[in-house]
Amino acid sequence: MIDIRVFYHKTGRARYISHLDMMRCMQRAIVRAKLPVWYTEGFNPHIYLTFALPLSLGYESKSEVMDLRLIDEEFSLDEVTTRLNQTLPPDIRVVSTAKIVHKPQAITHAIYTIRLFAGTCSAEELRSRFCAFMDSEQILVEKRAKQGRRKITKQIDIRPMCALLSCETAEDAVLLTLKTEAGIQSNLNPSLLLDAFLQANDQMPLRWQICRESLLMADGTSFC
Amino acid sequence: MQLQQLDHILMRVQKPSRYTGGELNSVMKDKNAVSIRFAFCFPDTYEIGMSHLGMKILYSLLNHREDTWCERVFAPWVDFEEALQQENIPLYALESLDPLSDFDVIGFTLQYELSYTNILNMLKLGGVPVLAKDRPSLKNLVVAGGPCACNPEPLVDFVDLFMLGEGEELMNELMDLYRASKEANESKAAFLQKASQLEGIYVPSLYDVTYNEDGTVAQITAKDGAPKTVKKRIIRDFDKVFYPENFIVPFMGTVHDRAVVEVLRGCIRGCRFCQAGFLYRPLREKKPGTICAECRDLCESTGYEEVSLSSLSTSDYSDMESLLTELFDYTQTRHINMTLPSLRIDNFSEELLEKIKAVRKSGLTFAPEAGTQRMRDVINKNISEEDVMHSCRLAFEGGYSSVKLYFMIGLPTETEEDIRGIVELAQRVVDLYYHTENRPKGQSVNVTVSVSTFVPKPFTPFQYEPQDTFAQIEEKHRILRDAVTSKKISLKYHHSDASVLEAVFARGDRRLSQVIYKAFQKGCTFDGWDDQFHYDRWMEAFKECGLDPAFYANRRRSFDEVLPWSHLDYCVSEAFLQRENKKAHEASVTKNCRMQCAGCGANTLVGGKCFD
Repeated sequence: MIDIRVFYHKTGRARYISHLDMMRCMQRAIVRAKLPVWYTEGFNPHIYLTFALPLSLGYESKSEVMDLRLIDEEFSLDEVTTRLNQTLPPDIRVVSTAKIVHKPQAITHAIYTIRLFAGTCSAEELRSRFCAFMDSEQILVEKRAKQGRRKITKQIDIRPMCALLSCETAEDAVLLTLKTEAGIQSNLNPSLLLDAFLQANDQMPLRWQICRESLLMADGTSFC
Repeated sequence: MQLQQLDHILMRVQKPSRYTGGELNSVMKDKNAVSIRFAFCFPDTYEIGMSHLGMKILYSLLNHREDTWCERVFAPWVDFEEALQQENIPLYALESLDPLSDFDVIGFTLQYELSYTNILNMLKLGGVPVLAKDRPSLKNLVVAGGPCACNPEPLVDFVDLFMLGEGEELMNELMDLYRASKEANESKAAFLQKASQLEGIYVPSLYDVTYNEDGTVAQITAKDGAPKTVKKRIIRDFDKVFYPENFIVPFMGTVHDRAVVEVLRGCIRGCRFCQAGFLYRPLREKKPGTICAECRDLCESTGYEEVSLSSLSTSDYSDMESLLTELFDYTQTRHINMTLPSLRIDNFSEELLEKIKAVRKSGLTFAPEAGTQRMRDVINKNISEEDVMHSCRLAFEGGYSSVKLYFMIGLPTETEEDIRGIVELAQRVVDLYYHTENRPKGQSVNVTVSVSTFVPKPFTPFQYEPQDTFAQIEEKHRILRDAVTSKKISLKYHHSDASVLEAVFARGDRRLSQVIYKAFQKGCTFDGWDDQFHYDRWMEAFKECGLDPAFYANRRRSFDEVLPWSHLDYCVSEAFLQRENKKAHEASVTKNCRMQCAGCGANTLVGGKCFD
């Protein structure tokens, strides 16, 4: 048996597939591809697969990672890529398949590109407002959490959890590159930051598209 | 339209993947390269519509034609409808994302009466005039088929033509005709006149209906060369019928999210309440080899982990033994679960049970339908209490500690004793569990009693019967509740006045079109959903139209009354239905079709003999 890692893009219509539905979608694609996968041996046998870091509904991603277990150790990894691309819906594309190097726990950061569309102000004004917002000493948000069994909301400062790598205008939009903490230790969903920005700007009408570009490890290299 | 335009509204509604399309095996074509654009509309939500087998068959059949692109449209849930209207986006088809008004033919499937207002709402949201008379051109032709097309009279103001019976052949003939008419630039009227000449096509505008003073139908007259009666279509050689080699695989979980193969069509049983049992006559089967090949094709093209052998009564399949043996080898090695819905109590065997629980154990449901033998004889269910007990014992010995039993209340001739009999039967099943030696150890038993309300339907022997009033039904629910004394019995029933409406439209006439229109204008949609159903708005609509729901729901029809659907012929004769009605009142049973022909008339559809 061998554990392998599949890297894929999730774009277009596929960004509305929820994490749970994604699981089902992948299992069926694997069956159609007739890959020699290992099934769990419990009461309800199913294909063993895990996702490194769940993606929020509505986000595109060029850095999706799924781990699989094959029963045939000699099976060509390129063949996995080819066959899955034949059986997946068009908006989910496998880029490569490789042997697993690091555990998903090694993920520490994610890079997102975010496109902001201003409803009422110019792109330039939006850009300067956002940059000013990111200059704040701290950005406090309410986060739901659990204390023992009790559900509570606590205030946390998310400013140290993210860094703005670039912020420029592109036609009618503002294009951000954002690095956030990600993974099981500490995770910041960029929409939390955007919601805080809206709150600081009188709930201005704003639309956005978010794409997760890459997953990084502590040393700054790509997760693999 | 581009998906980007939908982005921000999709992010604020529930289950956005209902509205995005892009699923595996959905068909994309170049709209400029086809002659006919067909919108297959299901008047309910995505997850219900995507579970419907008829849609999968016709979607695939239409897309096999090079000249046609068939796309799917579902009723948007209320949150998405509101968002569409706010943003001024018309209801669109999931493949091209083009508005409904762009389509040549708009086809609705009529699965249940309570979806009628959704048809009107979908047309409106799609930018298509709701009333047939406001659509003068051939484009946006609205057609409909499915079980409720057997009495489509309440919908005649909205739908241009109905397709009666099975669509696999008729649909192609209709599309050929449409294409010819479109290319020849013919008027809608000319097309409809020609269409009415196809067997199985009912064009309601070519029929005049007059009424008696008491509100019953006096006469139905055909005009412009339309046939006096329209006969349903069937597939004679069911083994050779078109069947899709793939299904669209939805992203979200749907109600029936699995591969489905139809093993037989029709039913030999003749249960007197069951409309499907009469509409789909006569019984026709596929060969085991055909069924297995279709199962394999579907599992391989979809990747589904479950396959269902579907029909009105799967255990009546004549060669179950070889079918299961052949199929079982395949499903076992592929980790595919096999489900057999609609098993009958009287031919449920140990071997069958072994096979259905081999991969994954699912629940077991039996349908005695009525609590006493007399009542079961009235409805011609043809099962005995021994059959029920035998099946339950097999289930308990096979490791099950819970079973579900289906019943109906409000059946003709029903007494209080019959109602109590439901709970008494359930109690005897509970007792049986504790008298079964090999029952699951250390587990308590649970018997779920699920009770629904009987609705008399056209083309059944009970089409003449009154439905119980809502007050009577409520009283019967109370009797049931009081009768349950054990915690091991869970009683489930649906407390809703919607079944009254179902009865009204099932046997309604064309005057009800205006009631549906008024209710729709008052905001009625999704009437089958409890949280969306507004009984008061419907009652207002009836009042404004001067019509009384009780006239349709709670009135007994005499055998010589002209029924609103009497110009439609489903090949079960009125003489037969009346004979069966009389026998019901005598609590006398009729044998199943295989044992003895009851002379319903459906044999004429297959050349005189239903069985070899």
